[in-house]
Amino acid sequence: MQKTLVITPSRCTACRTCELACSFKHAGPAGLGISRIRAFMFGEGKNQILTCFQCDDAACVKVCPVTALARNEATGAIEVDEDRCIGCGLCSLACPFGHMAHDGRMAIAIKCDLCGGQPACATFCPTRTLEYI
Amino acid sequence: MSEKVVNLEINGRGFQAREGMTILEVAKREGIPIPTLCHHDALEPVGACRLCMVEITHPNWRGWKGLVTACLYPVEEGLQVTTESQEIHQVRKTILDLLLARCPDAPYIQKVAAEHGVTATSFKKNEVQTVCILCGLCVRVCAVKGCNAIGTARRGIRREIAAPFGMPPPDCIGCTSCAHICPTDAIPWEDVNGVRKIWDQEFEMVRCVSCGRPIMPVTQLEFEAKRAGISPDYMTTCPACSQQKTLETIRTAFTIKRPASEDAVEAAS
Amino acid sequence: MRINSVKSLTRAAGRARGERKRLETEVLVCAGTGCLANGSMDVAEAFLGAIRRRKLEARLKLGFKTTGCHGFCEKGPLVIIQPQGIFYKGVKAKDVKEIVDQTLLKGQVIQRLLYRDPNTKQRVEQYAEIPFYSKQHRIALRNIGKIDPKCIDDCLAVGGYTGLAKALTEMKPTEVIDAVTESGLRGRGGGGFPTGRKWKTCREAEDPTKYVLCNADEGDPGAFMDRSICEGDPHAVLEGMVIGAWAVGASKGYIYVREEYPLAVKHLQAAIEQARERGFLGDDILGTGFSYDVQIARGGGAFVCGESSALMKSVAGEVGEPRAKYVHSVIRGLYDKPTVLNNVETWANVPWIITEGAAAFASLGTKKSTGTKTFSLVGKVKNTGLVEVPMGITLREIIYDIGGGIIKNRPFKGVQTGGPSGGCLPEGKLDLPVDFDTLTEAGSMMGSGGMIVMDDRTCMVDVARYFLKFLVDESCGKCVPCREGVHQLHQTVNDICAGNGRPGDLERIEALSDVVVKASLCALGKSAPNPILSTLRYFREEYEAHINDRKCPAGVCRNLFTFRISPEICNGCGLCAKSCPVDCIAGEKKEVHVIDASVCTRCGACRNVCPTDAVEVI
Ligand SMILES: Cc1cc2nc3c(=O)[nH]c(=O)nc-3n(C[C@H](O)[C@H](O)[C@H](O)COP(=O)(O)O)c2cc1C
Ligand code: FES
Repeated sequence: MQKTLVITPSRCTACRTCELACSFKHAGPAGLGISRIRAFMFGEGKNQILTCFQCDDAACVKVCPVTALARNEATGAIEVDEDRCIGCGLCSLACPFGHMAHDGRMAIAIKCDLCGGQPACATFCPTRTLEYI
Repeated sequence: MSEKVVNLEINGRGFQAREGMTILEVAKREGIPIPTLCHHDALEPVGACRLCMVEITHPNWRGWKGLVTACLYPVEEGLQVTTESQEIHQVRKTILDLLLARCPDAPYIQKVAAEHGVTATSFKKNEVQTVCILCGLCVRVCAVKGCNAIGTARRGIRREIAAPFGMPPPDCIGCTSCAHICPTDAIPWEDVNGVRKIWDQEFEMVRCVSCGRPIMPVTQLEFEAKRAGISPDYMTTCPACSQQKTLETIRTAFTIKRPASEDAVEAAS
Repeated sequence: MRINSVKSLTRAAGRARGERKRLETEVLVCAGTGCLANGSMDVAEAFLGAIRRRKLEARLKLGFKTTGCHGFCEKGPLVIIQPQGIFYKGVKAKDVKEIVDQTLLKGQVIQRLLYRDPNTKQRVEQYAEIPFYSKQHRIALRNIGKIDPKCIDDCLAVGGYTGLAKALTEMKPTEVIDAVTESGLRGRGGGGFPTGRKWKTCREAEDPTKYVLCNADEGDPGAFMDRSICEGDPHAVLEGMVIGAWAVGASKGYIYVREEYPLAVKHLQAAIEQARERGFLGDDILGTGFSYDVQIARGGGAFVCGESSALMKSVAGEVGEPRAKYVHSVIRGLYDKPTVLNNVETWANVPWIITEGAAAFASLGTKKSTGTKTFSLVGKVKNTGLVEVPMGITLREIIYDIGGGIIKNRPFKGVQTGGPSGGCLPEGKLDLPVDFDTLTEAGSMMGSGGMIVMDDRTCMVDVARYFLKFLVDESCGKCVPCREGVHQLHQTVNDICAGNGRPGDLERIEALSDVVVKASLCALGKSAPNPILSTLRYFREEYEAHINDRKCPAGVCRNLFTFRISPEICNGCGLCAKSCPVDCIAGEKKEVHVIDASVCTRCGACRNVCPTDAVEVI
């Protein structure tokens, strides 16, 4: 069975380790801050985590003019082919949830790709708010 | 593309590839670096920069070998490719040397040239210097988006990227894809007070329905919605506001769906 | 009237021939572009007027027609009177009355209008005896100058479309291809690719939709072979194309002509309409069930649009730029379909090969370059014009026998063949046989057949500069080595001509040329350094004189020489002083003249007029 990233917000302390792990994994030490996951602090038990839902009928895939976005059948994640992406930013506008970002520096779209099956956010989450099961 | 699988060699190592793939595609897949300037995976290769030249030969070619552009040459059974040699380096260096004479002030060209050991041009600098290397990525991206608003004008050394007749291009939707894809940032554009300026044209921008931040030109919104077959309303909220909305929705849902009693149970356990 | 069988073609041709036989005399006025520019339309109208007024048609059983180019444009307007074969040159409208009175009515030849051999000073009466023509062998040009290109009956009378009839009714497509292969015909457009092989690959390509095209772009400056054929015998081209279409299995084609050739377009258009009417083109050709139709595609006259892939893009309405031909156009050409593209002259040879047989064609020329080739012979030769000679003839024969030698019998310096990206050959190569491979080996090429003869007053560095300038302007600019590289080559040569050459320039030129040749996208770039490489190969010392001594030995590059009148030679005729536009030559009649070098602009006018060659370059 395909694994999923399961989020249990009630456990979240909004420590933002996930954000750090994500940007480190994707962009290295240079890219801290461009995380594909975000933690929001609202107080004990009310914290929230947002990241891509990997929608079935995804708007981002639909609008991409160069088919740079496609689902990785192994992980279920919708991935950006960075060599195909022309950086037009349509996907980030089309996403109804605001889950996509646009890396201005590299002029390409960025989104959660589940780290190809080993999501760093889950690996490093100290409270098991994020679990890949 | 055909499904036939062929065997080829790159730098003496054997690989398999689908017939009709380009040398560059195979090399990229195998992590063998070949420098390019005019190539982009999403766009039709044209072979304009000639930086990707590699040497090919074949056991059946009776010793004949020659240089071809990796971005265009389709692989075939038995092909033998060499990606680095004295001759290839000479070609690549000369090309970058020539481009530096054309664009002495383009940081990106300076960087690529330096990577190939060329720090200053050995030629006379062109009379008219630009930062445009005429790779044509902008024209091709415009075509891929379905607009075909810009093209090339004139010939030879006077060739330039231009809109038809040098007028503001009527087919431009103001999407700035051309500017984004340009490796040397040669296409100027700006957003000022909800108006986008590019190619001597001004585009009124749609504003985010919640925060009022300009998102994209009205013309682009209409065009993109039609092309993707979705309602324009899908794209009238900026990512930040979309995220905020999602957050709100989840929080409300969370609060409503989780009765206080459950929290108590959890706390007790 | 539609011709639906070979039989009715034979009948129609017989009828047309009968019409001709009825005539006792025929006046042919050349209406090729060259003669038209010289006023041959006025001459033609004067003849028509005289014929009408004096009722010559009935009285003399006289026929009259305007024909295509005879190739001797320099001497135009030309008038030929058959069957006597009298050749009048430089005819003016006012001469027409005299021609009618003397030649037509009394049978007397007008000496004044005859061609005078520049070497023997003899007047030559007969067309066929003029040395310019006697050494030629005309296959592609076989009918030009004999027929009225606007009249299909005239074409039928000389055997037009019999090759097509034979191919369609007696030969299988593969047999046609075999015949063309055996004839050894190679493309006349520049590449010299074996035509039969090209057709065979196209025939064997899987896609059933195929195209057969004709390249009439003719971008080489000074070349007018293809134009003359399209203007003077358009049916030969059409017939060749239909035969080719039958051979490869195409049903549609285009003739790509440049807009600058209005007469060619007009004649081709007329020929297409007539051929359709008669059933040589369109549906059910000659009643055989085979269909093929041709349209004219007009080009804007860019040199690069003559390149096959650029041409196909241009026909398809895209920007005329070459693409990489790693997949050949015989497999994926026009609209991505298998396409055969051949040059005008190549097509014009095809019907002849079918009617006369492959062996007849192969027996002409050399082993690997069979048949004949047309050249536009221009430059410093006495007779310039369009010539067709068997392959393998030497350069010397073309230049000295047909061309009559160098103007004013000055020393020969070089001959440039192959168009802008061809090369220059020196005197030592004059005895080379002219064929595809020999010319290439010698560092030049056949190209489409340009031949520019140069005398000792030509600076080879300047020649290279001229052709490079052309190529800089005509490069499409798509790929870096051609756009930037040829530009840099041109800059360097420009500097050398201006006296700003630097030591090491020649080595830099050679290194850059090497990359341009290897890395350019299309054959324009790949051959663009040719003018400079071939002149460097044969005239290197001239470059060195420019760079090291700051001298232009030929007296062309104005910053690099001064003129001086040799006191030993000058006879004081004063012609130089009269011709000088800046009045910088002083001297009394019968006394030595002197040039004031500080005023002299080195235009060379004095040198050109001096009867004793006293003006020296120092
Ligand atoms: C820059 C360039 C210009 C050319 N111009 C012409 C031309 O004007 N006419 C022509 O027949 N072929 C021209 N060619 C050659 C054509 O590409 C092509 O080889 C030819 O039309 C094929 O016909 P052929 O095999 O009968 O020669 C040119 C080639 C290049 C590279
Ligand atoms: S990447 Fe192949 S030519 Fe530019």
